[in-house]
Amino acid sequence: MITKPPVEPPHSGLAETAARSWFDAILSLSRDGILAISTDWIIVGWNKGAERMYGYSAEAIVGRPLSTLVPTDRLHELSAIYPAIARGSAIEEFEAVLVRSDGVSIDVVLSTAPTRDEHGHVTGALALMREVTAIRRAETAAEQNSAKLTEREMLLRKALLALRQSHEETKSAQLQLVQAAKLESIGRLAAGVAHEVKNPLAVIMFAIDYLADTIASPDEDTTAALTDARDAVKRADSVIRGLLDFSTATELSPVTEDVNRVLAKALELVRHALTKAHVLVVEEFEDGLPPAMLDRNKIEQVFVNLMINAIDAMPDGGTLIVRTRRERLTEVGNEVGVRKTDQFRMGLGVIAVEIEDTGTGIDPNCRVRLFDPFFTTKPPGKGTGLGLAVCKSIVALHGGTIRIANKEGGGGARATVVLRSIRSKEVKADG
Amino acid sequence: MDKIRILLVDDEPSFTRMLKLNLERRGFKVMVENNGAYAVTVARDFLPNLIFLDVIMPDVDGGEVAAKIQSDPTLKGVPIVFLTAGVSKETTRVKGDVIGGQTYLAKPVTVDEVVRCIEKKLAKSPGATS
Repeated sequence: MITKPPVEPPHSGLAETAARSWFDAILSLSRDGILAISTDWIIVGWNKGAERMYGYSAEAIVGRPLSTLVPTDRLHELSAIYPAIARGSAIEEFEAVLVRSDGVSIDVVLSTAPTRDEHGHVTGALALMREVTAIRRAETAAEQNSAKLTEREMLLRKALLALRQSHEETKSAQLQLVQAAKLESIGRLAAGVAHEVKNPLAVIMFAIDYLADTIASPDEDTTAALTDARDAVKRADSVIRGLLDFSTATELSPVTEDVNRVLAKALELVRHALTKAHVLVVEEFEDGLPPAMLDRNKIEQVFVNLMINAIDAMPDGGTLIVRTRRERLTEVGNEVGVRKTDQFRMGLGVIAVEIEDTGTGIDPNCRVRLFDPFFTTKPPGKGTGLGLAVCKSIVALHGGTIRIANKEGGGGARATVVLRSIRSKEVKADG
Repeated sequence: MDKIRILLVDDEPSFTRMLKLNLERRGFKVMVENNGAYAVTVARDFLPNLIFLDVIMPDVDGGEVAAKIQSDPTLKGVPIVFLTAGVSKETTRVKGDVIGGQTYLAKPVTVDEVVRCIEKKLAKSPGATS
């Protein structure tokens, strides 16, 4: 800051000798550096404080230009204050970097006041300099520490976030493990139960067949009794079959396969059910789909189960739409991302298979339980409640996903199975 | 015309009894063996046209019995159909009732299905008797 000089010097009115003595005492006692310069910027005075600060003795520096004390790359800073000094203005608390005799730069805060002759003309200036290198270094260190602290705080926040995410993933993995253990137990139980129950069922079936052949002309009630008994055996067998399929849905024999072909085969298998239920089929198969590694029997079973569900949802007839298309996952979404729990990575090539019906759709209350074992909305004897549980296990074993939802705008449900496709290089390696 | 001879090997007496009754009524000659270990000996004596063989039996595995039958010079070429409670019909259906080169019938089956299976196997068999 530049201000006007006082009109009267502070020692005004004192005897000149006394003033000179005061001045000398101040110069010698001051810990700060004090120097005097002429109007042509030559150092004309230099106290002990300045000697300590800069390492120059008065004899060595007096008579040399002020620029001796300024690093060459900062000379422009000095030229900025020259005009003020020439005008006789004072400068307060000007921060500068000056250089010592050994070449080391030091931070100083300097203030100047003009010196005048008896006529009041400016003859130069007196500069008072205080070294602040240590303070500036401490300030810089504090700023750096503060920046480091901020950076560490951010790292801690990130770590906390990662920890929370990892906790969520662990929880989810634990749930999956519990679910897998449950399914495995059901599977083991199912295989044992199936063997023990199927033998007696076979005996009953043969006995019914024998009785039916034995009774030469059965009355209406006898025929009904035999039919009911046969149906009951078939129903019990259907539950056991479901359990067996469920228990064997843990092993795969994958081969390179064309998804369209597997889907067409599944359609053939349900052709009779389609005709019986007056259901029209619309095939929208994308040509030239990349192949996938599939256990074709198991995936066919998935498609058949989904188609049977769709047909059952259209008791008064309707349309079954079977669609395939290739996709490249370019956006983070359902099961797509970088979390460990995400089934698919971004950029992965997949094949989406959609099986749509024009039925009544899914009751929103049932949606969360759709894939639970033994959950069914079909009438007794019609479904075992294991079909979708089996589908989910099989698709998950293939590293794929299955989703069932009502169609946008209503008018039926859509099952979507997403399977990983393989690249042509992998096909060659496989084949 | 000689009757078609069927050997039933299954450790469940009620099962073999019921199947025997049904097949005999359909005109087959049926022999039953409830102990898998004696199956080969009985087969050598009976010389069946076709053998129904249980897979899981207490003393011996159906696969072992089948191997012994197939390697026996007097029984070579006799078709074997496994009757099992261990596979689901879904599995046999999608594989055309043939798993690993063997024909399976998943219990429970109807007598009609058993008879159809016999006819089909014997039609293919070089030593078929009809």
